[in-house]
Amino acid sequence: MSFTLEKYGISTEKTLLFLFILKQDGKIVSFNDRCELLFPFDKNKVKGKFITDYIIDKDVPLFLNLVSNLSDKDSFTSLSLNFPTENQGIVSIKFDFKLHNNLIYATGIDITEESKKYRALLTISRLTKTGAWYFDPKNDEISWSHGCYLINELSFDIPITREKEISFYPKDNRARVENYLNELIKNRNPYEYTEKIITEKGNEKWIKVVGQPVIYKGEVIYVNGTITDVTDRYKYIEKLKYSEETKHLALKGIQSGLFDYHVKKNEVFYSMDFKKMLGLPLNQDFVSEKEFRKMIHPDDLEKMLKKRLKNFNEEGNYYYNDYRLKHLNGGYRHYEVYGFRRKNSKGETTRMIGNLIDVHQKKNNKKTIAESKNRLQAMVNNGFVYTILLDIKGKILMTDEKSVKIIKRDFNVDPTQVSCRFIDVMPLNFKNSFAHEFNEALKGNIVKKEIERIAHKGDSQWLEATYTPIFDQEKEVNSVLVSFHDITEQKLAEMTIKESHIKEQELNNLKSNILSNFSHEIRTPLNGIMTVSTLLLDEEEPEEREKLLMYLEQSKNRLLDTINNLSNYSEVETIKKNINLEKLDVNYTIETSYRQYKHMAETKKLTYQLELDQTSPQFNIDKNLFSTALNNIILNAIKYTTEGGITIKVSSDNYENNVYISILDTGIGIGKENLKKIFDPFMQESIGLSRKYEGTGIGLSLSKRYIEILDGEIKVKSTIGKGTKFNIIIPKCL
Amino acid sequence: MNVLYVEDNKINAMVMDKMLSKNDSHVIIAENGSQALEVVKEENLDLILVDINLGLNQMDGCELLQKFRQLDIVKDIPVFAVTAYAMPGDEQRFINIGFDQYFSKPVNFDQLISVISKIEKSFEQQ
Repeated sequence: MSFTLEKYGISTEKTLLFLFILKQDGKIVSFNDRCELLFPFDKNKVKGKFITDYIIDKDVPLFLNLVSNLSDKDSFTSLSLNFPTENQGIVSIKFDFKLHNNLIYATGIDITEESKKYRALLTISRLTKTGAWYFDPKNDEISWSHGCYLINELSFDIPITREKEISFYPKDNRARVENYLNELIKNRNPYEYTEKIITEKGNEKWIKVVGQPVIYKGEVIYVNGTITDVTDRYKYIEKLKYSEETKHLALKGIQSGLFDYHVKKNEVFYSMDFKKMLGLPLNQDFVSEKEFRKMIHPDDLEKMLKKRLKNFNEEGNYYYNDYRLKHLNGGYRHYEVYGFRRKNSKGETTRMIGNLIDVHQKKNNKKTIAESKNRLQAMVNNGFVYTILLDIKGKILMTDEKSVKIIKRDFNVDPTQVSCRFIDVMPLNFKNSFAHEFNEALKGNIVKKEIERIAHKGDSQWLEATYTPIFDQEKEVNSVLVSFHDITEQKLAEMTIKESHIKEQELNNLKSNILSNFSHEIRTPLNGIMTVSTLLLDEEEPEEREKLLMYLEQSKNRLLDTINNLSNYSEVETIKKNINLEKLDVNYTIETSYRQYKHMAETKKLTYQLELDQTSPQFNIDKNLFSTALNNIILNAIKYTTEGGITIKVSSDNYENNVYISILDTGIGIGKENLKKIFDPFMQESIGLSRKYEGTGIGLSLSKRYIEILDGEIKVKSTIGKGTKFNIIIPKCL
Repeated sequence: MNVLYVEDNKINAMVMDKMLSKNDSHVIIAENGSQALEVVKEENLDLILVDINLGLNQMDGCELLQKFRQLDIVKDIPVFAVTAYAMPGDEQRFINIGFDQYFSKPVNFDQLISVISKIEKSFEQQ
């Protein structure tokens, strides 16, 4: 069948169809009258123009694209074109295009209304983030609108299938989602659900899906539906739910309940939590004041009412109270009330709304803390002498009463009131090592250190300081406990033991020294005696024998002296029993001793002088004791003098009761530290590999003993290198 | 045999002289260390006997031995300690210091003379 324009025109004249005949490039060849409303000006000018001159820009490429692909074989191809018109605004025409003999026949209907609605729907769909879909159960076919694609962030050119649709839901939910549709078909009831999807791009969204069945003869033949992106709303609800839950949990956590005291009605409204907390009947909204008072601990009632009255009349809106309430499990628990007062225009309180908080545990904890703090303080006060808790910067956090007293006294600072560093209030000699020990403790080590503290009265006190690091929950050192243990007694005992060890050692040395001395002093003359005896046996010449006998005598005397000295050293009491006092001339007695050693002094080429007293005093003495005492001193003087000499002086005229006998030498002298010891038996200065001085070492101690037995006194003065002066002071006969 | 005896105790010096002279030794007595040091320079000695305790403020036998050991002429001469220090440990002490032999007082002359004879014999052999 072939169309002429005429036929075409006539056949379309009476219709509402828009007809165009166009060239393949869109040039307008012919059109029917209906089309005139699409052109803004004289229709005669239209011929020869292109249709693209009359459609909106957006449609131009769509049209060009369409016509370039048209072929004779195609049946109709559709496209909507929009024409801006003078009178009717934009008119949308849906055309069917057909190519025939190089001419395009376009037949269109006005779809402006539908298009408008559609566009509006699209806009609504976009704004509400909603898409439409349908499902055909006959062939399991599903179709998505633009909006659905947008929500699922799926590219428009991908055809949607049931599988694809289901794949957007998380794996675990897919069976459930699939079931919604299956159930709908089975039960013919519409459904609505909200589920989570993961979009093509991987975003998580919440969608609300509505499905509405179309039923024909009792069977679901079609399902229409929408998908709405409710992510924002869902999240908001989630948030809301969460914060509701938080509030709920928080209230539950702090065990609090809300109440509303209506003053006029004299009734109290309690929240559910409150009632649960206190064990009140849940179906009763109000509790009368009378009943409420019954619940308050009798001891707290008066105080609570007083406080409430005060709260009631006070200025401002916020108030506080605390009391014990009977608990549903029996017994009373502590509660605190934080409330808000509502007042009327006259300023009268009409309602008191508050939060009742169970602080029983807190109260108990507080009590426990206070108790354990007291216990700790007691421990601190009694367990150690001093205890100081420092923070990591060395500031005093806590300390015992004694330390506080000392610090107050010595530094005029109260460490319990003012923050101060331990190093600033410690005794000077603590400072040297404190930093080191404190740092060690900060590293987590327990450090011990012994220190001597000079107490206020000057006594020394030995302390063992223990630095104990204290760790917080993160295992970091957060403070250091410095505790001081009094170890004075222990230390003193240690020192005494040490001293006695030294003394013992000294005594041991002395013992072997004495033995060695005596051995040497005995062996030396014995050597002479024995050898001379042997020689005497063979010696016949009288002169030689005489000489040998003299040697024998000298050696014998020396041996005897040694042995006498040793045996003279007996107990004072024994000596006193056998004492033989006689009145003697001092000068004479002294001179006798002087003469005895004259030879010895001269052998050593020393000057040896005697100055006697002119008044010739007398004294009452035991001759043996006195001579032994004096002789030992003279012998000592000669022994320790190599140059200069010895002067013995007797003087009594200047003194009323006593005679002074001084023995002055220019010998080696005695060191200060040994001056006190020279009268100790067996003490000889200079003890070496081989001693330079002969003698048993008991001479001077004997002298002192004897003179004291005779009611006298011996004094000694000495300068090392210059000499020694012994003074014997002894009562004279008056 | 030329023997030097360093001894401050005159009696002990004298009796040593007498005893050793009987054994044909020539004894030279030195009363202290400084005298002894003079003697070793002048005399050709075969043996030196040294008392340890040589008196107040004097160089003792041990110090003297150190001085001897520093002299080339004394290097090869035996030096004996002759001392009244005779407590346990004393002998070891003096031997450790460097004395060749130790004799305690009272001196056992039989022993001393036999040691001297041995030294004499060793000289003859040489």
